[in-house]
Amino acid sequence: MSEIVEEIRTAYARVGIQLDQPAAYGTYYRLLCAGCGRMVGNVGDRLLPGMATELVERQRALYADGLLGCSCGHQQRSVAR
Amino acid sequence: MSAGEMDAIREAEERGRTDVWPFWRRAYAAGDPLPRIECAVARPTYRFDEGDALPAEYRELLTKMLRHEGERAGNKSFLGFMGTCLDLAEALYPTREARLVKAEYLAEELKHAIMFHRLAVGLDRDFALRDVPYAHYTFHLPRETWADDAYFHFFVDLNGAFHARDWRESSYLPLAKMSATVERDELGHSEMGYHFLQEICGDARGRRLCQHLLEKWYPAALDMFGRSDSKNAPVFIQWGLKSVDNAEIRRLYKGYVDAKLVALGLDLPDEHKNRRFL
Repeated sequence: MSEIVEEIRTAYARVGIQLDQPAAYGTYYRLLCAGCGRMVGNVGDRLLPGMATELVERQRALYADGLLGCSCGHQQRSVAR
Repeated sequence: MSAGEMDAIREAEERGRTDVWPFWRRAYAAGDPLPRIECAVARPTYRFDEGDALPAEYRELLTKMLRHEGERAGNKSFLGFMGTCLDLAEALYPTREARLVKAEYLAEELKHAIMFHRLAVGLDRDFALRDVPYAHYTFHLPRETWADDAYFHFFVDLNGAFHARDWRESSYLPLAKMSATVERDELGHSEMGYHFLQEICGDARGRRLCQHLLEKWYPAALDMFGRSDSKNAPVFIQWGLKSVDNAEIRRLYKGYVDAKLVALGLDLPDEHKNRRFL
């Protein structure tokens, strides 16, 4: 597990999103709702250090407003805690 | 690729035409949508065709350029990336029509994979089979909404269109010959992304989402052209593999995207904010 992938995993866990197993020859990962398991997006493993944390934190307001995240509302509830 | 093979592909593409697809049709009907990219420095005139003996430095630079391009059938990472596009469309598509349009996009990218594969085989068979994962972070940014995906196409495919425009004057003839098709298609893919952005920006919530996500995609898009002080750029230009340096092609690209973003009613981010490769 690369440090970047670990950073991505940690950043998304804070908003209620899980990183799935690697796909596309280990380069890309599905993002799954930690509440219901539905796919909510994807991400690659060549982000620069610190980028995943910064991007996800910047999106917190969008999860809170339901503009991002699963239709089950798990991310909305996660960032409100 | 033989003329007969190209005719068969063209015929299949024409059967796929709809009111909107291919998006390049409308864009070029209104005139040349892209700015002129012209070399402003004196340089020798080189012309190399498939099978010609290539100077070592020329071969190295050409291979480096094609490695970045990536759309080769022998590049399994490219095919994997295409798979993620389908996967994403399946999870996020807003309408059945939108998902079908994404499949048309994939079909066209796979056509490029055939074209670049032929070019790569003519250059170096080992290179043609090399797996080269996309290295630039823009290809790895998270895509969590249809708006992310639309920005990806608007910005990243447009980058491909600008480079393909530059290849029109390439000293490597096989690349010059296919440049017009690649440019047209990539411009169409960018217009596809823009079409979806127009739909999403049609209401206040969508526009708010797009304005926020622009902070992620805009700096990444400008970063894709590399550093302005690249030492390799003048060498590429001297060999006729590029016409302008990174700063100039980025300036032309920025002028194009800024006008389109303003037309969407979006505020342009500071061009230096969150940039990694100035």
